[in-house]
Amino acid sequence: MSRISLLAAIAIAGMLVACQEELTSPVDCPELCPGNSLIVRDTTIEAVFDRDSTFTGYLKATDIPALLVSNGLAAGDARTWATFPSRSDSVTVDGLAHALTLDSAAITFHVLALDKTVSGTQLVVHRIAPLLDTNTTFAEIDAQLTPESVIGSIAVADTGNARLVLSGDVLQKIAVTEADSFRLGIGLRVDAPSPTGIRLASLNFDSRPPTMTLYGRIVIADTAKQRQTLTAVADSANYVIEAPPPPGQEHLFLGGKRGSRAILRFAPPAALKDSAIILRATLELTPAGPLLGLTGDPAHLEVRGVLADVGAKSPYLTGVNASALLLADATAVQSVDIRAVVGTWFIADAPPSTLVIGINPEGGSLARPEFFSTRSPSGRPRIRITYALPSQPGHP
Amino acid sequence: MRSRLGPILMLAAAAAPVAAQSSQFGVRGLGLPMRPLSVRSTGTGGAFGLFDSESPFNPASIGLVSFTRASFQSLQSWRRSVSPAGVATARDNRYPGIFVAGPVGGTPLAISLSSSGYTDRNFSIASRDTLILRGVPVETTDTLQSLGGVSDVRAGIAWRGSSNLQVGLGIHMLTGSNRISSTRRFSDTTYAGAAEQFTVSYLGMGVSAGVVARLGRAVTIAGLVRADDKLRVERDSLRVGTTKLPVTLAGGARVQFGDQLQVAGSATYRSWSSADEDIVSQGGIGSVSTTELSVGLEYLRDPRRPNNLPLRLGFYRARLPFPVIRGQDITETGISIGTSKRFVADRAGFDIALGQVWRNGGAGFSERATLLTVGISVRP
Repeated sequence: MSRISLLAAIAIAGMLVACQEELTSPVDCPELCPGNSLIVRDTTIEAVFDRDSTFTGYLKATDIPALLVSNGLAAGDARTWATFPSRSDSVTVDGLAHALTLDSAAITFHVLALDKTVSGTQLVVHRIAPLLDTNTTFAEIDAQLTPESVIGSIAVADTGNARLVLSGDVLQKIAVTEADSFRLGIGLRVDAPSPTGIRLASLNFDSRPPTMTLYGRIVIADTAKQRQTLTAVADSANYVIEAPPPPGQEHLFLGGKRGSRAILRFAPPAALKDSAIILRATLELTPAGPLLGLTGDPAHLEVRGVLADVGAKSPYLTGVNASALLLADATAVQSVDIRAVVGTWFIADAPPSTLVIGINPEGGSLARPEFFSTRSPSGRPRIRITYALPSQPGHP
Repeated sequence: MRSRLGPILMLAAAAAPVAAQSSQFGVRGLGLPMRPLSVRSTGTGGAFGLFDSESPFNPASIGLVSFTRASFQSLQSWRRSVSPAGVATARDNRYPGIFVAGPVGGTPLAISLSSSGYTDRNFSIASRDTLILRGVPVETTDTLQSLGGVSDVRAGIAWRGSSNLQVGLGIHMLTGSNRISSTRRFSDTTYAGAAEQFTVSYLGMGVSAGVVARLGRAVTIAGLVRADDKLRVERDSLRVGTTKLPVTLAGGARVQFGDQLQVAGSATYRSWSSADEDIVSQGGIGSVSTTELSVGLEYLRDPRRPNNLPLRLGFYRARLPFPVIRGQDITETGISIGTSKRFVADRAGFDIALGQVWRNGGAGFSERATLLTVGISVRP
């Protein structure tokens, strides 16, 4: 009996162990293919005529994510300015204020991007009047960037900190006066053998804003405390740009200091909405000319779906977007895979089939792409959709 | 009787009646036809099926049942399929049958309720192709999977005229579904994969009548006729057509040689060609009528304890009804060996059968499978 029980247990255990599935086999069609697989098709839909627009003003002047300087770029000439608050002339050590005698000073900017194909790029630092605000014009800044106002220049060959160190008599160039309320104004321009530009960290960028550091000595018995520093962060910084004028209705324009975005509207065929499974959807934008921007510092073209189409202030679908790099001087059609966005158009209670396109960093890039609009005779915005239709295989 | 059968009947009703082993020859038509056999009959190549009181084949075979019993099967298969597309090995496990039978006290009647596989359409096939998408060739991998099949739920009743004659009647409900999923993947990952899923469901009815007659001391003969109605086919609750089902005719003889050896042979004909037109109209290749011949023996080591490890051997050859190429027959040849054991005063036991089948569909299609079937029987 016990042997039989053991035998039975082994048989049952064997079945349980053997209880496995691995069904997949290669097949030779059409004999073993009971029907077709999903039917794959491709179609292109153009944006609805005259329902695309460019809107500007998404950014406040102080919201810029970067400071721009450039010279002779087709995307625009840019100058940067920064002001430093009135600084103390003493430091407090062991509870007592001690007058600081300056030895040297350093003005530091953080370079986010530059065109490394241009050698000999220099960031020229000027002393300018500190009475600046967001209404200051390019002409007002540029007029002050004279040879006489030069404090110094920084050779810039890579990203990271660019530091101008001053000592000796040059320190007089950053001396503050009562007439300026003891504030210091700095203007920046680029000097290079060919048109180029630099993108610098702004006050809104992490923790690397324009900074001035003063190195000096105080009179104190403790020699270890005689060397002292004072650090001041710019209290305002911005840039001014002399950019090409906004294009006409035949073009869509993205970027710019105030942030320009374009809205595109599409009307997918009803047949697709009924039963298509979107495999790939690509937004194709045709540049109206070589894309304006800074070589080596591409902007990202960003595409978003909207929750409701109320024009320029349409709320975006959260978590549904797509992006692609926009290289300066590109002339080819720019493509962005937007399946995630288009996929939302084919679900129940679908949002409007509207796209908002813009660039990132918005307001802080020398990129200034222009694309043909639906009012252009050719190169209209379009979406190329590859989709699958159910085939209901499994025939007997 | 009723109270003892109750829990078992509930079990039978609750058990998902799924079919048996998968095969590349189960892709077309209604799938791979199943053999409504107990493990004991499977061990004899199916030759004892018309006589076996635990096989849901001949309703007359339960006529001599003297006590209530239930059995349950599990089948594991390992197969190697060859097609012009390549060679594949696969394995799967199914629970092809559950069977309950018992006498109706005080009457010469016995009843049974069973669920067994009618056709099996479990498969998963993969193929590759290259599509030109946006002017660029993109390789695709398609997978089509079907799970399910058609099950045969039978209620049978048999009348025991004498120990030499039993006749039976069966009412069959054919029901089941194929859950079909189709997926397409692209080698270029910028294309998302796509899938579709739907369910094809089936419903039909049938009736069977059988007889078992003992001629003298050594010879017993049996016969069966079964007629099934049209099978209604729906896709996601939308009717797509009907499939005419075959008439089944079967006959066999069993000869007793002394106390220890029984030899049986049987032949079964099914008019599957009657389904040809319907299957073609639904997009299939077609169907052909089938004949199955089987012979087998059972050798008892101890005639007083027939389930004490008897030796069962069998052989069968059959034509399968659903070709993969029209006009090209698929044949199935099988050999088997089996045994059984009862214990706890014959209240519980197991049967086991090991079989090897070869299927040949011509044109480069062939298959070899090893089938291990284990059945557990209980007598409440």
